[in-house]
Amino acid sequence: MRDKIKELLTSNYPDIDFESSAELVDSGVLSSFIVVNIISLFTVEFGVAIPYEEIIPENFNSLDAMAALVEKLM
Amino acid sequence: MTYVSLNFIFFLAVFFLLFFMVPGTRLKQAVILAGNVFFYYFAGGYEGLFVILFISLTAYTASRMMGRIYESFDGEAEGLDYKAKTALFASYKKRTRVILIPGIILIIGFLVFGKAFRLTGIEAPAMLSPFLMPLGLSYFALSSTGYMLDVFWKKTKPEKNPVYLLLCVSYFPAIVEGPINKYSKLITEFKGLKGFSYEPFCRGLQRVLWGFFKKLVIADRLNLYTKAVYGDPASFAGFEIIIAVVLGAVQLYTDFSGCIDIGIGISEAIGVKMPENFNQPFFAKSAAEFWRRWHISLGDWFKEYISMPLAVNQKIIGFSMKVRKLLGGGRRSTQFAGSFIPLMSVWILTGLWHGTGADYLVWGLYWGALFLLESVFAPDFSALYKKAGIDENSFGFKFYLMARTFVFFCIGRMFTVAGSLAGFWILFKRMFLLNPWVLFDGSLYTHGLDRKNFYTAVFAVILLFITDLKKEEKKDIRGLLAAQPRVFRWLCLYMLIFTVAVFGIYGPGFQASDFVYRGF
Repeated sequence: MRDKIKELLTSNYPDIDFESSAELVDSGVLSSFIVVNIISLFTVEFGVAIPYEEIIPENFNSLDAMAALVEKLM
Repeated sequence: MTYVSLNFIFFLAVFFLLFFMVPGTRLKQAVILAGNVFFYYFAGGYEGLFVILFISLTAYTASRMMGRIYESFDGEAEGLDYKAKTALFASYKKRTRVILIPGIILIIGFLVFGKAFRLTGIEAPAMLSPFLMPLGLSYFALSSTGYMLDVFWKKTKPEKNPVYLLLCVSYFPAIVEGPINKYSKLITEFKGLKGFSYEPFCRGLQRVLWGFFKKLVIADRLNLYTKAVYGDPASFAGFEIIIAVVLGAVQLYTDFSGCIDIGIGISEAIGVKMPENFNQPFFAKSAAEFWRRWHISLGDWFKEYISMPLAVNQKIIGFSMKVRKLLGGGRRSTQFAGSFIPLMSVWILTGLWHGTGADYLVWGLYWGALFLLESVFAPDFSALYKKAGIDENSFGFKFYLMARTFVFFCIGRMFTVAGSLAGFWILFKRMFLLNPWVLFDGSLYTHGLDRKNFYTAVFAVILLFITDLKKEEKKDIRGLLAAQPRVFRWLCLYMLIFTVAVFGIYGPGFQASDFVYRGF
């Protein structure tokens, strides 16, 4: 799952190094606009509906966190 | 009563005295509530008090009812896996939504109703008029709605004591121009009230003094020139307008942030922490960064309660993906399609929150378009700069970005300062009738801001710039001051008090020159 997510995100955001930090949101690498789009991509690609309560920095701070979120919802 | 009045200073003195004299948290909370009611009665009238009471009661009732429905959730959810729990919560939300929506309609409806009269120009019935758009409605309507939404999403438990909710909604240091407080954070502060403590009290008063400096010495002084130009744009041209726009930007910043400093300072003095609303906004290097530094609590409110919920809405995502396919499916299409609805919704609503005319709608669309362009094309610009050999981390380049963002802000401001789109168009096209001679012939000093006052404003703005620069470097200025010898500290404070007392604009507009954001 982690690799699938990495491929999906890298193809859409080639300029962002998603492995560069475990605090992608907290450090500002991922802005709220990018998070909004990542949510759309996960919904379309994996068929998951991300509940609003899960839109917290902890769930998007790293590839591992995003993979865990998607797996939880699948 | 406004902040900028002797009555307010007297009220504040009595408030502090009573607050620190009474023992125990409960009595201190009672003093704050009494202060809120007293301040609001004299600042906004008893009709406004009624509106605050009505809105607090609506939020309280809706939240208690939602809370009762959620009482059985934890028991039912025990032992369920994550997916089942999520599905259970979704079913509970179907029931609480039935209470939430009327609650929101009642509160936001009040706001919309009041603004609708302004928008249409229809005169409200005389009996109704004092209840429409009372002081601070735009702020406490949002904070109450945010509270109900937090209860709906189970981010916070509903408050059982209605007086606590009223205490937060009517909190006088925040009611005039914000910041928009989150109930859960503010009530924690109120439940932990302590006795007098010298350092926070001094720091708070210093911040209040600084707020008065920004408002009275800078904002109201610059207003002497800008009101002349904005009030009659057809009589001005070229550099007269450009200077008005630039000074107007500084005026708005000092006026608004000055009021926020006064509110946060009063709160700090009694040991109640409120969120920051400004973070040196003119150091921003993009439109998005600017709005993370300007009116922060409003941006946070719209992000948390409008754009993020829209972003996860399945119907909107489905529609966005169709748009993405239509546009080709690449990175830019993805970014555009995914951001368009949440961004433009937020910006249209932000524009309408600020004002009801077409000028504010255009203002909102302008910022929405800027945000969209930045988010879609940011990597392209980065690639362009790299190709041109520009170091994005160099001071020169950062300065260019800050100047560019300042220009974006000024253009945005032009849409609304002249009172209408027609007024904007006159300002905008006349701005290009360049007249460099006005910079040398002394005529600029004849429109309300004479030479002496202009130089006073310049010195004050330089002092403000140095302070903001130090804050940008994360220096604790009040902490640095506190570490100095007592004589030096008191000299600085007395000089600031003297400056406000002597150089504050106390002319004919003294009480009438209200804080700009008070009108929202």
